[in-house]
Amino acid sequence: MGMLRVMSRRGDDRVTWDEQKFIARDPEAMAAVREAERIFAQEQAKGATAFRVSPGKPTERIERFDQTAEQIVLVPRVVGG
Amino acid sequence: MITTLSWFVIALALSPILWLLIQPYIRGWSRAERRAAHLLRDMLTPEQCHQLLWHGYLEVPSPSAAGRVYRVPRARGGFVQVIENGKAVMRLCVQPVERLPDADVVVLHKLMIEANEEHYLQKANKYFCIE
Repeated sequence: MGMLRVMSRRGDDRVTWDEQKFIARDPEAMAAVREAERIFAQEQAKGATAFRVSPGKPTERIERFDQTAEQIVLVPRVVGG
Repeated sequence: MITTLSWFVIALALSPILWLLIQPYIRGWSRAERRAAHLLRDMLTPEQCHQLLWHGYLEVPSPSAAGRVYRVPRARGGFVQVIENGKAVMRLCVQPVERLPDADVVVLHKLMIEANEEHYLQKANKYFCIE
C-alpha cells in the first residue's frame, strides 16, 4: 500500500492506494493515485516539500510524485522564525 | 447579594451557548493533535519516542557532518539546538508558515534535517552560542 500524508492544521490528511491494483489498472486504485498526484502538485505549488519515507531506509526528498513509494510526507513551506 | 446571584444566573444561562461556540475548535484541535501524534509514532523508533517523552527533545544526527546533532524540542516555540562534538554551537529558529500540531512540527524538523539539511540551514535564523 502507498500513502500520501499531508501535514496541515488538521493533523495529517491521507490518501492511500494499492500499488498492485494500480498496476492491474483497477479503476479505484487509479483514481486514488490520480487524487494523490493532484494533491502532491497542489501542495508543491504552495511551497511544500515532499519526502519519501521507508522503514529502514534514509529519508529522501523527492520532486515528483512516486506511486511506488510506501509513504510520502508533504510538509508545508518553512521560514526562519 | 442579589447582584451576585443575578450574575451567577446570567453566567449559567450563557455557558451552554459559549460551549457550543468553542466546542468545534476544541474538538477539532484535539483530533488534529491525535493524528499528528500517530504520524510522529510512525516516524520515530521506540528509542526516539522514549527520548522525546523523557528528555523533551529529539536528537537528529546530521547526515552531512559527523559529530553534529540537532536537538529538536517537543514544545512549540523552542529553538533547535545544534550540538557539535557535545558542545552547543548554535540555536536555530525555523517554523512552518501554516500552524501545525506540535507533534507534526517535530516530524517536520526531523524530515528536513535528514533529507534537506542544506535548505533547512538556509531557511533558519541562526543564533550563535558565544563562550
